[in-house]
Amino acid sequence: MATSRSDQAPSLHKDDPKRPPFRRVLVANRGEIAVRIIRACHEMGMEAVAVYSDADAAAAHVRLADAAVRLGPAAPSESYLRIDAVVDAALSTGAQAIHPGYGFLAERAAFARAVEEAGLVFVGPSSAAIDDLGDKLHARRTARAVGVEAVPGTLEPAPIDRPDQLAAIIEVAERIGFPLLVKAAAGGGGRGMRRVTRASDLPAALASGSHEAASAFGDGSVYLEREIVPARHIEVQLLGDATGRVIALGERDCSLQRRHQKLVEEAPAPGLSTDERRRLHELAVRVATAAGLRNAATAEFLRAPDGAFYFLEVNTRLQVEHGVTELVSGLDIVREQLSLAAGRPLSSAALAAADRAAEPAGHAIEVRLTAEDPGHDFAPTPGRIGQWVMPSGPGVRVDTGIEAGDRVPPEYDNLIAKVMVHAGDRDAAIDRLRRALDETEISGVQTTLPFHRFVARDASFRAGRLSTEWVGEHWDGPAQRMTAARRAQLAAGLHALAAAERPATASALAVGARAGGAGNAGLIDPSGDGRWHRAALDDAVDRWPR
Amino acid sequence: MEPQRPDLPVEPDGAPVDPRAVRVTVVGADLGDLPAIVVGPAADAGVPNARPLQDGSPVDASLEMVGRERAVLREDTDRTRHPLLLPTTEPATSSGRPGVDRREVILDGWRFEVEVESAARAALQDRARRGREQAGRSGPTQVHAIIPGVVVSVSIAPGDIVTAGQQLLVVEAMKMQNELRAPRDGTIERVAVGAGATIDVGDLLLVLA
Repeated sequence: MATSRSDQAPSLHKDDPKRPPFRRVLVANRGEIAVRIIRACHEMGMEAVAVYSDADAAAAHVRLADAAVRLGPAAPSESYLRIDAVVDAALSTGAQAIHPGYGFLAERAAFARAVEEAGLVFVGPSSAAIDDLGDKLHARRTARAVGVEAVPGTLEPAPIDRPDQLAAIIEVAERIGFPLLVKAAAGGGGRGMRRVTRASDLPAALASGSHEAASAFGDGSVYLEREIVPARHIEVQLLGDATGRVIALGERDCSLQRRHQKLVEEAPAPGLSTDERRRLHELAVRVATAAGLRNAATAEFLRAPDGAFYFLEVNTRLQVEHGVTELVSGLDIVREQLSLAAGRPLSSAALAAADRAAEPAGHAIEVRLTAEDPGHDFAPTPGRIGQWVMPSGPGVRVDTGIEAGDRVPPEYDNLIAKVMVHAGDRDAAIDRLRRALDETEISGVQTTLPFHRFVARDASFRAGRLSTEWVGEHWDGPAQRMTAARRAQLAAGLHALAAAERPATASALAVGARAGGAGNAGLIDPSGDGRWHRAALDDAVDRWPR
Repeated sequence: MEPQRPDLPVEPDGAPVDPRAVRVTVVGADLGDLPAIVVGPAADAGVPNARPLQDGSPVDASLEMVGRERAVLREDTDRTRHPLLLPTTEPATSSGRPGVDRREVILDGWRFEVEVESAARAALQDRARRGREQAGRSGPTQVHAIIPGVVVSVSIAPGDIVTAGQQLLVVEAMKMQNELRAPRDGTIERVAVGAGATIDVGDLLLVLA
């Protein structure tokens, strides 16, 4: 953290694309996305200021930044969600702009407003546009106003605090049809979302969804939406500038999800024709233009089995999965965001990428490695990482903020790394993904790695038969885990057997090991791993019934 | 096959236990169907590439160490190859029981904790345990936390009669609400946590009688 605190913040170099758009940028996030943004700042010749909670004092984003400001204890509400503390950190370090990343405050209009009112630049859409687009209900109304069809459902918040209106909301639900989804108006990532199959479950689903939404976003508003199944989840990456011009950089297929959280994303969406791509991009641009989008956002759509696209929502921020679009468009989206935030027009690189958006270069796939147990319904598995070997080589990009020995705190999102691959076509990208995941080694916590290795080998995934139901239909986590457990058990037994033997007798009990050669070198552990075993053996022999 | 040695301790199924054999148990939830195995050297262990015995029968598998913490398990039956990690970093994460070594095994991306102990000793202990159990009866079930987090709500109280699968409490971890359900029918004997409590893995949540 070598930083030279400047005396005076110089003016923005708004009109010279060769100069950095800012001198210093505060990154209001943690983990891999904070690292990603800090890297963009450094590449553009800008300083980056990190913020951190007590759980992250030694985290990668803190080390990589030029300065770092402590926000508070680990709990998000006492650290990364504190608008005042984040704005103060920017003011006290002389940062001119704040990049919110994704999650935390990224889609809080109140945050964008506080940043604007402090005389700083918010790297993202204006607070007004976040109100319009970030609130899913506003967004649904906006889409309807410009003739873009949204998923059927309600357009106003459900009156959860009005017991007298319960009958009315149940009647509305029955008109929409079951099963339906209770969704958080301020939501994302499935938080606050509940699937409801019958009217009698609706009140409880509204209450628990609202509670979870309030805890995750500070806003408990929920609404109803028809569940479209099977559907593909396809989204369009957008950029907009101060002149009101909005462009699409291409689409991503994010159909592989569990509990409405994405696991695998790819660009382009497999199986779409160039015409379908153009039409989808146009729908997205129409909604975003109507809402006055600036900077970066993503319009999400569901594609029904008949090929119809239904508008879902707009995320007014950098997406987790922006990297696959970067790989096939050749554009650095974070760099564009920072340039647009300074008031510059869409760059020539961005305009060229938009021209090629319906015919992207090759194919990119991202998998999200998260601290979750794919053999146990993707239950969270926070803990301390032991070994940490990430893949590399041609066409592989890994975005992470984790290193060996790091803790994955239970307080935050459990994404630990994004493994991305890029190749000439989808088949080659899947081959590359399989290779990359086979190189990956993580100990200490269970991760989604076995699931992703399965995806990379699965025939229906390769055939592009994707839907939001795919994980439930294809992945039998408990069975996969059981098979691996048997092998692990056998391997541990063989290992203990070999380790217990004294070096002198090693070759006499080369348990399945290669005789001679280097392969045997590690077989016997002279440091005494087998001591307990010998002690137990002596003990057992002493007590032999004779 | 090794000749029968009547003076050796035997496994519950009557198989003899080689003094060098180890018993391996995978620790953890949802693997209740996976019995412990005994792995011992085969009678022809003096021959390189000897086939180890698993539960008295030879298995066509071999383990090749690659350095200190990595190994490759080969299964000849289906010609598969499974690289694995056997981290030695943690000082043999104590199992809390003498003579039982708990260690981590990472195979095909899956992480397991296994307990390895002398099979002979384990067989003796089993025999003793069976004797004790015949005297007693199956006791109450202690329900422990399997994830760390914060207890959001507790929907039962001591004395409540619950059925298997019934929601008992909700734990919020990583911003997700996780419902804890009754592992079997029974009566709540004790509730050890309240709403708002911060819990860690292994903490006692409640006792089901």
